[in-house]
Order: sequence, then structure tokens, then C-alpha cells
Amino acid sequence: MIVAASARDQTRARYPEAEGYIERDAVRVFYEVYGDAATTFLLFPTSPISHARVWKAQIPYLSRHFRVMTFDPRGNGRSDRPETAEAYSYWEYMKDGRDILEATGTETALLGGICDGGGWALMLAATHPAAALGVAAIAPCVPRLTPAHPNYRRYPSHVPLETDEGWAKCNVHYWRRDYPGFLEFFFSQQLPEPHSTKQIEDCVQWGLDGGPESLILCDEEAPVPFATEEDARALVGRVRCPVLVVHGELDGCQTRERAEAVVELTGGTLSALDGAGHLPQARHPVKVNGLLHEFADSIVPPKPKVKTWTRALSRRRRALYISSPIGLGHARRDVAIAQELRKLHPDLEIDWLAQHPVTKVLEAQGERIHPASAQLANESAHIESESAEHDLHCFQAIRRMDEILVANFMLFHDIVREEPYDLWIGDEAWEVDYFLHENPELKSAAYVWLTDFVGWLPMPDGGEREVFLTADYNAEMIEHIARFPRIRDRAVFVGNPEDIVPDSFGPELPAIRDWTEQHYDFAGYVTGFEPVADREKLRHELGYGPREQVCIVTVGGSGVGADLLHRVIAAFPEAKERVPDLRMIVVAGPRIDPAGLPQHEGLELHAYVHDLYRHLAACDLAVVQGGLTTGMELTANRRPFLFFPLRHHFEQNFHVRRRLERYGAGRLMDFGSDGPSEIAAAISEEIGRAVDYRPVERDGAARAAALIAELL
Amino acid sequence: MTVAAPAREQTRARYPDEEGFIERDGVRSYYEVYGSGETTVLLLPTWSIVHSRHWKAQIPYLARHARVVTFDGRGNGRSDRPVGVAAYLEDEFAADALAVMAATDTERATLVGLSCGAIFATLLAADHPERVDGIVYIGPAVGLAPGHPERQVYAFDEEYDTDEGWAKYNSHFWSRSYREFLEFFFAQCFSEPHSTKQIEDAVGWGLETDPETLADTCRAIGLCRLERFRETCARVRCPALVIHGDDDRIRPHAQGAALAEATGAKLVTLEGVGHMPHARHPVKVNLLLRDFIQGHA
Repeated sequence: MIVAASARDQTRARYPEAEGYIERDAVRVFYEVYGDAATTFLLFPTSPISHARVWKAQIPYLSRHFRVMTFDPRGNGRSDRPETAEAYSYWEYMKDGRDILEATGTETALLGGICDGGGWALMLAATHPAAALGVAAIAPCVPRLTPAHPNYRRYPSHVPLETDEGWAKCNVHYWRRDYPGFLEFFFSQQLPEPHSTKQIEDCVQWGLDGGPESLILCDEEAPVPFATEEDARALVGRVRCPVLVVHGELDGCQTRERAEAVVELTGGTLSALDGAGHLPQARHPVKVNGLLHEFADSIVPPKPKVKTWTRALSRRRRALYISSPIGLGHARRDVAIAQELRKLHPDLEIDWLAQHPVTKVLEAQGERIHPASAQLANESAHIESESAEHDLHCFQAIRRMDEILVANFMLFHDIVREEPYDLWIGDEAWEVDYFLHENPELKSAAYVWLTDFVGWLPMPDGGEREVFLTADYNAEMIEHIARFPRIRDRAVFVGNPEDIVPDSFGPELPAIRDWTEQHYDFAGYVTGFEPVADREKLRHELGYGPREQVCIVTVGGSGVGADLLHRVIAAFPEAKERVPDLRMIVVAGPRIDPAGLPQHEGLELHAYVHDLYRHLAACDLAVVQGGLTTGMELTANRRPFLFFPLRHHFEQNFHVRRRLERYGAGRLMDFGSDGPSEIAAAISEEIGRAVDYRPVERDGAARAAALIAELL
Repeated sequence: MTVAAPAREQTRARYPDEEGFIERDGVRSYYEVYGSGETTVLLLPTWSIVHSRHWKAQIPYLARHARVVTFDGRGNGRSDRPVGVAAYLEDEFAADALAVMAATDTERATLVGLSCGAIFATLLAADHPERVDGIVYIGPAVGLAPGHPERQVYAFDEEYDTDEGWAKYNSHFWSRSYREFLEFFFAQCFSEPHSTKQIEDAVGWGLETDPETLADTCRAIGLCRLERFRETCARVRCPALVIHGDDDRIRPHAQGAALAEATGAKLVTLEGVGHMPHARHPVKVNLLLRDFIQGHA
């Protein structure tokens, strides 16, 4: 397997409130502080094989409840890389944790640690009992406490070997020769759970942020902290605070024997995770977050607060609607479905867990937005940050949103644990759907999943790796549904079976259409509006003359569209020659400054047009990206349009394109090959053309609502 | 409504591992011990209109997680029925609880008290803090906030020419129609629809005592002095939890809220719920009890 890790730091779900360095013996160690709760949780990193980002799935959640501190280990991240082995002793890492507590004015804290970090946390608790309220150690490493894991006893680590196979890679000579090869092997072993590609990629990248020399100094040459097993046992036996040890049964780095020894010596608790590997905080973040929070609560009970529980038959009927902010289309269709649902259940109260720009639509409709929505990590900004010139690698962008998805699932989970809902509705709420299948015991209400496409598809230039990755994601989803059919009480496809792409989910996986027809109900398309009845009247109202040929160019609300706008504006002079009555109106949208666009005589540039959908219904031609909502809106209103799918956007290039083909709607353009001349020619050919689109159904929202209403 | 309560005790889910009597000043009280373990939960008596069977939905569950001790309050169940108001003052119940703790070698316990049991629990926690890990109050009957106005209309020992509603809370009515009073009272306790079995149970337990004994307990409750109780609350240092229904027609929710305020307790409000949630919503209350015991014992 080839791991293609990207060096660019991905968007975090939460950024630190404070950061700084401590310095001891001229070695600087970088730390971060999140949140300002009364109780502090200090999370120790691992050895220099990784850095503080190993906690990325914990930080956003824990920092809503605790003040969280992390640091990069000397030898990786933003900490120094000292060149002597002494500087990498366990005792130095322990002191780094201690000094960070002191530097941040923290008298006492809950301590967390993974692997070596678990050992450092235990050492701090043993030697500085006042500093430790409790220790939560995941796969703790305490050298000499028990024999090392058999994996480390297969080959000598210092002697040059004749082979590089398997654990022979755990060898300083190999590290110097092929550190990425070692990291890929090592983390594939430590994340043995199927479908761990993203976690492995992350770990490899964090390993590469350091390098072999620091790891050699730390793992192989630094003085061993304990001379004998007795020394190690004596030290751990001095820990007086509560201890939680989390051990994955498939751990390839630390043994269960060692975990049990820590538990026995400290009188702690062992939480064994069956089927999990060495890094459960990354692969099973929801479970680990819950364990850490429960452990903390058992030591520092939360302040008394007023709670309410309502007798079952006294409860009002309530639904929580989670509407994805990726693609503006969800908001309007979800409002339409909610309105239809209320017709069937007039007493239904709906709360929305949503973020900008969905909330803008919801507010305008007077919908109730759950106040915790304000704490959602921003998904649209992430997607925007992932895009380039008319280019959005949508699949990778969603993979690189993993931290945000965990953070937002945890928020959802906190809400539904406190407030009983009868029903959760998730419109492409990836985090809810994924983590409910990963943690099926957390489902406590009826749950409906809505989507307008099924199946991750590889882009041709993604090569074998992308074929493998998309198939792996599809396979995990298929396994989820097969194993836990009770999670989705309804799976509603916003569309029709014929809209589904003819592809398969991947090599040796089912055909997408067959599988989807077996596992979904079909609501038909949901436009969320009534098509315009009298277009001439509308044109008149909007000030469009009967002879004018109105062409509207829009890229919706996204910031990805400036390049397309430039390209179409460049086509304006030639298009105007070909179509003398052409009136071109360019709508830049909220994220693009129209002042930065070129001006031509007769060309109209606007930042914003009120009720844009009405203009699109009235126009003679539209030029748009390849998004589903705008394309289907134009189809429903029977307008000719040119559409340019974003490059590397598999949904626009495959799923949306397929659907528009079925409706016989729009003219597919290619941003890569269509220049101003081609665009001008297409404008002159298409503008004002009478279309023969397949009519778009009008009852989609009602059909979706009827499917959902049965659950109430 | 006619309640046909069976005289024969129904099959229990769990029987005590140990039972016995304590005796104070010639008054014997019957106790039961279930399970074992380091942590003890003492399920206190309440007003003697019922006896310890009212904890029947808690005992089998809690006894799997802790050692459970309970006893019949004097005046009902297998405990004696001394004559006279003085025997039923709150100090006597608190002293019985201490005697039960001594007889069962219970050093410390988490106390759970329903309604009037709140007063006994508070006295114990204030005067013997070293014996009490924590308190859970359920529908506490404490004078820290006004009672329901409809209960203030009639005096207990006056004679009236009406039997309507709370006029039944009257010693003369009891001598005439004790059972009818019990049916009325427990229908008020269980304000939730579909509570027939819980009402039948409670009426049956009420019939195990007699109106004269119950009248003495009632007059004793009337002697609780508020100033003294406030001062007692202020001395409670242990963790506490108040569980109170917002449709409690015996003791207003405001009394539970005031007690939570006075003792620094966490308040859990049960919406749509009456005076005896542990009987009517046993799963919810059991889980609240277990969470509390695990968090504080």
C-alpha cells in the first residue's frame, strides 16, 4: 500500500487559545492550551515518532468540558530536536509535562497519555502526587515493567539485517535508509482495524514531521528510566491517584500484560477495547472521548446543575434536523421537507443543528436553530480552504475533514444525551451517520438518513490509490449497513433510481444502483420551490425587456468560482457580437469581490442579487458550476444552461452529470478545454433555446416527509 | 374506584439476606438487609402510611450494585405501633435509623428518603456527618416553600360537613372511611395516568396500619418546626440529589427546589411526574440512584 500523505496541515476543528514554549537545559518544548474550564487535562504526546496532533480527535471535545493542554515531544512537531541521547530520557519528557503545568500556572491536572506518554504521565503522578488528579493511560509504555511486546523481540534493532521484511524494519539502519517505509509499516501494524487509511496517513505524516535521528536517540540510545523490573514496579506502585488504562486487544506495540501490571500496581481500572489496535484515540475517538470524560467526571464531579427528565407520555414530539452546510442546496430542500412533515404531524417541534450558510436560510424561514449550533466546527470554511482554481477534490476534502466530523459528532452526542428527541434527521450529516454505525450503542432515537448521491468515486487522475481509497470507504459503508441495519430507520434517496450512476462501488463490490435500490427509499427530487407559473410576468417584474437575451452567470455562494467568472467575462465581447441583444449579468456572490473582476461595456456585475432563483427562472440562459441544486433548479424552470463541473469534484463530474443527462438538461462544459471562444459559441447556440427537459417532479418533499412521518 | 388489594404479599424479585428487629424504648422496628459490598444504601421510611415495600422496585436493582438496608417505619409493616404522638416525632425515626445501622454493622451509608423521609435524612446528615456518604431526596416534604393551597383549607382534627377532596385528610373522616381516604390520597400521589397497580399497592400498605396510629403520625409531622429545619439543612455537608416531579400534588416541586438550594444539592426535575416517581418511573429513578451512589460513595 502506498501512502500519499499531504504535507499541508488540514483545517482543525479548534485552534488553541494560547501557545508557548518552555525551556530547560536549552531545549525548547512547544505547548498549546485550549479552553478555560476550571479542571485541566494535560495530554502527553508519544515518542518523537509523532506529535501532539495524535490528540486531534480529543481536543475539540474535551476542551468544551476541560482546559486541555498538549505539547509536542522533544524531537518532533514545533519542539526542539536536541542532539544528545540524555535529552531524550523518559525523565526529561516527564519534566517537560511538569514544567508546562508550572508555566501555565496549573497546580494540578488530569493526565492523559498514549504509549510512552502514558508512561511519562504515570511517572509524573508517582513523583509529583500533588500535580496529578488522575492518569488516563492509553496503551501505556513503562519500560522493564514487563517484557517488551514480542514484535520488538523478533530482530535486533541496532544490527544491520539481511532482510527488511516486517518487523525487521524496526531497525535503526532501516530507519536511516527508508524512514517513510518504516512509518507506513509500523502504523499499518498499529492501526490493524480495516478502513484505517486516513489514520495511517496522518500518523505517517506526523512521523515525517520528525525524522529518524530523534527517534533513534529516544528509542534506542537514551538512558533507560528503570534499571530493573523491580525499579519499574516500585515507581508505578507509588501512584496514588485514580488510574484508567485503555488497552486495545490488537495492540502491536504494548502488551495486555503490561496494561494489567499498571492496573494491578495502581489499583486502577482496565478498559479493554476488543478489535482495537494501539491507537484507539484516533480510530475509535467517540468511545475514547467518552471514557476520558467519564474518568474525569469520576474524579472531579461536575458541578450540580438542574436537570429535567420528562415522563415518556408527557413528552412533546420533537425532531432534531441536521442539515449539511456543504452545498447550499440542502437548506432549502430540508425546509421544504420539514414543512411537509409538519402537515402530517402538526404538533412536531423541529430543532435544527446547522451552521452557516444553512442557518441563513433557516433564520429567514423562522426555524428554530438549536443554540449549540454555534459550537459546530466550520465545515464550509474547510471545504473552501481545500479548493483551488475551479478545482475541489471533494473526496479528499471530506477525508481531510475527519477532525471536524468527530468534533461535530461529539457535539451532536452531547445534545441528544441531554435532550430526548423522537427522531434525528440527517441530510448528508456524514458525522452522524458514520459515528452512529461505529458506535451503535449511542443510537437512542429513530434516525433518518437523506442523500442525493451514493458512492465515493475515484477521479481518473487519482490513479490506483484513489480507486483503492474510494472503494475502501464504500466497503466500510456497505459493511456498516449490513451489520447494523437498525441504525438507519429510513434511508431516503433524494431522486429516482434512474439518477444513480452506472458504476460499481469498486473492485469486487456491488453495483451502486442495485445496492441503492435495495437499501433506500426514493423520494424523487426535492426542489424546495414551486416552478414559475408566468415567466413573462416575472421578466416584466424583474425589468427584463421582451427582446433582451438575459444571460446570468453565477457561482452560488462559493469562493471557488472566481476563475469561472473570469473565463466567462472574457467570452463576453465575442458573445455580444454573436448575440446583439445579449444582456449578461454576473453575480459574484458573497465571497467574491466584484471590484476584482474585469469590466466591459454593457456587462453588469453584482455582488448580490436578491431572490436570485427568480432571475434564474426568468433568464434566457444561465452559466453555472456543476452543483446539483442550481442545475436542478434551472431544469425545473426549463431554462437552458451551460454547466462547468469543478475539477476533481466527483459528485459534480459523475453523480450530478448523470442526473442532468437523465433530465436531458444543460450543456456540459469543460473548464480545462473550453476557452472564451468556445463559451461565446455555446452561449449563442443555447440562449433562448426551447428545451425538452424531462419534467421535474413536484412532490419530492411530500414523499420524503411521508416516509419520515411513519417513524413518529 | 374500588381497589381490590390482595392481602397476600406478592412474590418478591429478591428476598432479604438478613432480617431482624431493633428495639428502642420498648418499640421494635423491623429491618432487612440485601446483598453485600463496601457501599451501603439505606432506604429510609417515610410517613407510616406505607412501609418498606414501597422501595420494591429499587431493592432488587440496587442490591446488585451495593448493600441495601431498609426498615419499616414505626407504625406500619412489621414494626410496632406505639400509641401517642410523641413516639412518631422525626427524632424517633432518625434514632431508629441509627439503631438499624448499628444492628447491621453499617458504618456509613448513602441515605435515600421519600417525602417525609427527607426530614429524617437531613437530621442524620447534619448530626452524624461521619455516617452519611450522601443523600437522595425524592419528592421531599419540607416546609422550605409553601404547600399546595388546596391542602391548607381543612384542619386535620376539625369536623366538616364535606368529604370533598382534601377534606378527606381528616381524622374524623378516617375513622369513618379510612380506605376511601387511602384511595383518594394515593390517586393524588400518582397523578400520572395508568397508575392503577401502584395505587393498589400503596392502598394495600396503608391498610396494614390503622387510622388511629396513622393519625398520631400525622399530628407528629405537624410539630416539625421550620426554623429548626433550615438550620439543620445548613449543616448538611455531604453531596445530595433532589428528585422531584413537577406534577407532585402532595408536595410542590418548589419545596424540592428550595431543599436543593438549602443543601447545595443537584436538582433533577421529572416532568409530568407525581409524588412517587420511584414506584411509577422505577427505571429512571434506579439509574439516577446508581449514578449518584457510584459518583459519591
